[in-house]
Amino acid sequence: MPQTSPRPPRRAAILGGNRIPFARAQGAYAKASNQDLLTATLDGLVARFGLAGERMGEVAAGAVLKHSRDFNLTRECVLGSRLDPHTPAYDVQQACGTGLEAAILVSNKIALGQIECGVAGGTDTASDAPIAVSEGLRETLLELNRAKSLPDRLKALTGLRPGDVLPAIPQNVEPRTGLSMGEHMALTTTEWGITRQEQDELAAASHQHLAAAYERGFFDDLVTPYLGLTRDDNLRADSTVEKLATLKTVFGKGDGATMTAGNSTPLTDGASAVLLASDEWATAHGLTPLAWLVDAETAAVDYVHGAEGLLMAPAYAVPRLLARNGLTLQDFDLYEIHEAFAATVLTVLKAWDDPTYCRERLGLDAPLGSIDRGRINVTGSSLATGHPFAATGGRIVATLAKLLHEQKQQDPERTVRGLISICAAGGQGVTAILEA
Amino acid sequence: MTREIILDGPPDLRRIYATAALKRGADQDRLPDVRVLRRGVRVDRDNLARYAHACRFTFSDRLPLPYPHLLGFPLQMVVMSQRDFPLPLVGAVHIENVITVDRPVSLGDPLDVTVWSERLRPHPKGRQVDLVTQVSVGAQVAWRGVSTYLARGDEHHDAEASEPPSLAPLEGVAAGPTWRFGEDTGRRFAGIGGDWNPIHVHAVLARPLGFPTAIAHGMYSYSRCVAALAPRLPESGVTSHVWFRKPVRLPSTVRLRTAFDERRTLSLLEGVKGDLDHAVVEHTW
Repeated sequence: MPQTSPRPPRRAAILGGNRIPFARAQGAYAKASNQDLLTATLDGLVARFGLAGERMGEVAAGAVLKHSRDFNLTRECVLGSRLDPHTPAYDVQQACGTGLEAAILVSNKIALGQIECGVAGGTDTASDAPIAVSEGLRETLLELNRAKSLPDRLKALTGLRPGDVLPAIPQNVEPRTGLSMGEHMALTTTEWGITRQEQDELAAASHQHLAAAYERGFFDDLVTPYLGLTRDDNLRADSTVEKLATLKTVFGKGDGATMTAGNSTPLTDGASAVLLASDEWATAHGLTPLAWLVDAETAAVDYVHGAEGLLMAPAYAVPRLLARNGLTLQDFDLYEIHEAFAATVLTVLKAWDDPTYCRERLGLDAPLGSIDRGRINVTGSSLATGHPFAATGGRIVATLAKLLHEQKQQDPERTVRGLISICAAGGQGVTAILEA
Repeated sequence: MTREIILDGPPDLRRIYATAALKRGADQDRLPDVRVLRRGVRVDRDNLARYAHACRFTFSDRLPLPYPHLLGFPLQMVVMSQRDFPLPLVGAVHIENVITVDRPVSLGDPLDVTVWSERLRPHPKGRQVDLVTQVSVGAQVAWRGVSTYLARGDEHHDAEASEPPSLAPLEGVAAGPTWRFGEDTGRRFAGIGGDWNPIHVHAVLARPLGFPTAIAHGMYSYSRCVAALAPRLPESGVTSHVWFRKPVRLPSTVRLRTAFDERRTLSLLEGVKGDLDHAVVEHTW
């Protein structure tokens, strides 16, 4: 029997993306489900790239806030879309890293020659959030279901306590610490001495950059209007440091608190999708790759007992990613650092530039150094767009791929490179390198 | 001379039902020459969401193919409640519906909705009439629906009735989407579509009208069928034809079997046991 020989890996191209405008929770998309949001987003991608009736290698997507009935959410969305129903799909969930992790999974299969094309995406709605019954009621109902006789049923019901009838509403809280993400971030913010002024400057810049990108038509082929929205409705084009300075702090305690609703991301509804393929598939379909997903690294930190900040994992992922690819932190034209909070971005930048932290925590001989701030989140990020958890990765991948493609067209001889860094709940961080 | 009734808002259907219950239909062979219209209608986003979720369409800016019928339905009631309208409003049965989409209609489009009646004609079991709903965006007709209603009465054995196409293509199609329609299906859809005809509301109200249980709205069953096929249908240039057969008694479990062709789908909505045909649905483009 002849042995099969392994195929050499190839690079996975990012051909483009589609998302719907992100909407603040309980607003324009209040009545839309995750399935609506993701199906509409897939259909927008289908329309943009002529994929109607096309069998894709796979669709990988997910949602963080998910109803139990949505166990096969992505496949259901494929069946409701104009894609060929022979397209397989699966759900991914890695908190705020979901969208980027989905893109990594799809690109890896393309790189290995297992598929020729695929879609990575994510959706989330904080408006149409799942509400579960309380644990006490759930246990009683299960017991009732198991009970065979009337006395057994009555006995099961006696276990019910008055408080059990109240529903359990999902909370943005770490199960092991009971702290919200904002409260976790506030601890790190204080530890690193990140000022209110810095945070508000970063937030204002995010809004101004996003507004400018919309003005120049940058999002015309990345965003499809949905339910009357044409732009992210969290965007405040006239945002300034002065206005942001007037807001009350919402996370952290006492006079040292610096985090406000203005320099933190709001709860948001939205969905995004990215089209990935082999170069051959792209050529055969007359599509031009914007960029290629070169490599990725995911890290996790031990935040539970306070050894590290909840959102610091990307600080660990990036040096490992750089070392594997023989790059320095400065070898990038553009950086996309997810703005979970303004302080998240500022902390990780400070950490990479801190000799002690880099030596003691990251095990590096020298700090990674600083980054030209003019290259970070140049078309705005989550503070301005909002952050529907699983949809953020797809937004960032498609945005960065297009930005790199624009730079490449200015200077076709040079390799242009971008870095993505996304922090996620559970103390995780997903990072990736894109090149054009 | 055509009389035009221009409405500024949706008519109060409760009042129409209350008065129509007492009315038997004018004793004449002519349709009133009347057109009822509403200009600049905006689809209510929340109502669209409820309709889409009830019928399993994707809730998006694009109106589901049958949705404009909901905008025309109250105007149909106004036409049929005119004093000189020959058929009774309560008791008239929706037996057939044809929708043609010339261009897709979107959530934000200002819609002009016009309804009139035409083609009063004998049916083997009584008399039938077409209620035509036309939806325009700007000057262009985008959507047209023809709803055929039957009023049982004198039999006309030689009258022509529209027959659905042969179901031969469905032989060998063993499976399809299967749905449980709960007892409250009619009330739920009445809350969305505004058709509070008592036969859909509750068995207690349906019994005096000759039904042992409440029955599902034909437009609900049909909408479920279209929703199940929607991703495979073009957005415009499509005609959707339904022939209603036996009503769906609530509660029931029904199944949709479909044969797909190059430019056509042919479906049968039937009781899950295969003993009752509820509707035949054909799409062509």
